Amino acid sequence: MLSVLIWLPLVGVIVIGCLPQAVSASRIRQIALVLTTGVLAWTGILISQFDISLSGLQFQESLPWLDTLGLTYQLGMDGLALPLVGMSSLLIWLSIYSSDANVTRPRLYYCLMLILSAGVAGAFLAQNLLLFFLFYEVELVPLYLIIAIWGGARRGYAAMKFLIYTAVSGILILAAFFGLALLSGTFSFDYDVVKHQTLPLGTQVVLLVVLLIGFGIKIPIVPLHTWLPDTHVEAPTPVSVLLAGVLLKLGTYGLLRFGLGLFPDAWQVLAPGLAVLAVINVLYGSFVAIAQTDMKKIVAYSSVGHMGYILLAIAVASPLSIAGAIAQMVSHGLISGLLFFLVGVVYAKTGTRDVTVLRGLLNPERGLPLIGTLMIAAAMASAGIPGMVGFVAEFIVYRSSILVFPIPTLLCMIGTALTAVYFLNLINRVFFGRLSDPVSNLPAIYWKDRIPSIVILALVITLGLQPNWMMRWSERTSLALGSLATEHSITSLAPLMRDGLIEIFRTPSVMPAHLSPHLPTL
Amino acid sequence: MVATSRPSAHPLSTLVTRLETGGALLPETPDNLLEVVGVLKSYGIVLDAYWQNLTYIANHQFLVLFPVFKYFNGEVTLPKLLRHLGHDRINYEFAEYCMKSMFWHGGGGLDTYLDSPEFLTRARAAIQAKLRPNLPMRGINRLFPDFLPEQVRVMAYYSALGQFWRVMSHMFLELSDLYDQGKIRAIADVVAHIQQRLVDAASLPITYAVTVHGQRYDIIPESAGLTFLADTAVPYIEAVFLRSFPFFGTVSYNAQAHQISAHQEDFNYGALFADPLPIGGAGIPPTLLMQDMSHFIPDYLHAFYMNSSRGEDDLRVKICVSFQKSMFCVTTAAILGTLPHPLDTAELPQQQANRAYIEGWVDRLAESRLLSVQ
Repeated sequence: MLSVLIWLPLVGVIVIGCLPQAVSASRIRQIALVLTTGVLAWTGILISQFDISLSGLQFQESLPWLDTLGLTYQLGMDGLALPLVGMSSLLIWLSIYSSDANVTRPRLYYCLMLILSAGVAGAFLAQNLLLFFLFYEVELVPLYLIIAIWGGARRGYAAMKFLIYTAVSGILILAAFFGLALLSGTFSFDYDVVKHQTLPLGTQVVLLVVLLIGFGIKIPIVPLHTWLPDTHVEAPTPVSVLLAGVLLKLGTYGLLRFGLGLFPDAWQVLAPGLAVLAVINVLYGSFVAIAQTDMKKIVAYSSVGHMGYILLAIAVASPLSIAGAIAQMVSHGLISGLLFFLVGVVYAKTGTRDVTVLRGLLNPERGLPLIGTLMIAAAMASAGIPGMVGFVAEFIVYRSSILVFPIPTLLCMIGTALTAVYFLNLINRVFFGRLSDPVSNLPAIYWKDRIPSIVILALVITLGLQPNWMMRWSERTSLALGSLATEHSITSLAPLMRDGLIEIFRTPSVMPAHLSPHLPTL
Repeated sequence: MVATSRPSAHPLSTLVTRLETGGALLPETPDNLLEVVGVLKSYGIVLDAYWQNLTYIANHQFLVLFPVFKYFNGEVTLPKLLRHLGHDRINYEFAEYCMKSMFWHGGGGLDTYLDSPEFLTRARAAIQAKLRPNLPMRGINRLFPDFLPEQVRVMAYYSALGQFWRVMSHMFLELSDLYDQGKIRAIADVVAHIQQRLVDAASLPITYAVTVHGQRYDIIPESAGLTFLADTAVPYIEAVFLRSFPFFGTVSYNAQAHQISAHQEDFNYGALFADPLPIGGAGIPPTLLMQDMSHFIPDYLHAFYMNSSRGEDDLRVKICVSFQKSMFCVTTAAILGTLPHPLDTAELPQQQANRAYIEGWVDRLAESRLLSVQ
């Protein structure tokens, strides 16, 4: 079943690739939309069939491929992969929907978008280390080409920087995987096999550090982040949405799946350092965002900051914090996607993202009043206002981390406040006041421009009001991953984490019967 | 037309020269002509409704303490009430704002007359007649003896503005008819038409009388000598075009930051100065007038607006810009109509006096939207 998510877009690539040159860009876009609608629908079917009471992999598929290399076609989906696959299917559909109908070289553009879709789905679903690496690298190619061909003025520089950073990231991850396979003596890349091997703690730490740097580039962790703002600024809007909404999550997903999942002992050693890195990410991202004048850079640095919350949560590695990390991944994916869509509309209509030039865009007659309203809502969501998904995610993260890493948690809370600072500053400068003369005669805005943002905002509010609709899918997996870490924990707080905090978010459906009467639910 | 020895050295000499040669403040272009005539047609229709309501209020809501149905023109029915509540109506409030602007800024013979003993005597007579069967109002009058005469002054302004707009409404609708007949082909024709009709109506008497219990009371008799041009048109232009105009929600001023002049005569917040772009996200349209006019825009002007990038979205902003253009034509007619000497005079001192007069006007309009419509 899972292969459909990978192969349906690839079939689309073949179909679109074989179309005659005379076929218009809008027709190719329609075909791509139909295919990604199929992917989205199939994702919906998978979600409906997913058994939330199981913590392990579901819908597993396994086919031999290159046995001599240890490469097998192994797919599986658990509560960690499912929300990310669901979100990526949605964002890819919205990205194709919002792509310029008259894009140049449409066949190549939509083929690359579909390859990207397949690559991302494959990376989230792969249960073989080499297969994961392959998909991880596959998504690099279309992204590089899209930025290099359809990007902004400095697209060559940005695309090359992205390529170098991400290639280094891939090499480090591959090196760690090879090291693990070799040092464990099995020379297997099967996730389930290597997971149960034992290695000396020192070796684990070394391998985990390599993985941390590899995935840290992708997340990105400061100071490995410098590719991200440049790439965002030069990338077309749909790619920015996917970059922030989906591709950064490959980094945090990788850390959880392969870092925490394979090296739980070493994780406990590195966790305090990871928490410090989280604080640096949050505060650095927030302060730099305040200093920016390009709307896209503000959102990009906001992403750097918000990825810090995920780092903090996975540093704690308790069941509750893992749930918080997954929630924050979904939350950040949706909210940053929303922000990039909105910035994209502003840029498309005004021709600039400079907050020193833009002013008064909330003007009801000649501005972008609905886009401005959505931007205010998105800023509220990003700043963790209750009633929106950002609040749920950040609350769970802080709730789980405050006892384990109190100082880093408090410092990260300052980052939440700073989010309000830079976004309110942006809104105040760009949307309030008199419409500035250079943008006082904007072209008309259509519902097509607004729909992606409205869809995402609806999800942000719905999941904010009913967080259990998001949390329930990953509950068992969080418990399993978190328990894995706490069982190996070297901290005295492990029992408290396992027996105390976890119950905070337990729902009656899967909660031990003797605890259920006393525990609140989300 | 005129041959002064030296061209004007004014910073806006292009405009001065254009006016001296019989042109208008608004440049002569086909688009400007279409916009001006089209918007004046809709303005004429709206003014027709305004003047009727102002006159109705002046005549039939005289000293009514709570004139709840003053915008109904005497026709109070459930369907009309429902339409009113559903905002399917003319914004008569706008006419009242203009009236209050005139009332506050004063000027002309009307203002002087309303402060005269003759007016007070006539007003008190009407007030006594009105209060005879009304005990509460008599109490109010006893407690605040200046209150009801002030209300009568307001009623006089209702009536005077109604009479002024009646002429203007007919003038603009006639202009539209002439345009449709192909007789108006340039901005200069528009200005000439307005100037001629202002001259024709200049000496029309402005009067006001109310009937109380079958008895007629003259508040402003013809003998007061108030006339259309000097006592309503000129004060109206001064108050509404130049000094203040109810463009609510467009610009906020802070008097404590000295953004408002301490001298009333220096006010420059009138229609010709107003920013057509509303501020912020409150959704306030650029004046109630633009909303009213948007219902009566002729097809050719609507098609012209639809050709712009925002189409229907910023219709009221575009109407506002066109309206300001048309008001610069009216202002041109007023300037040319009040020149101290004929425009084609051959006498150098007269030419110099005319130039000084025109330059004074251009100075006053320099901070207005004048340059933005060039």
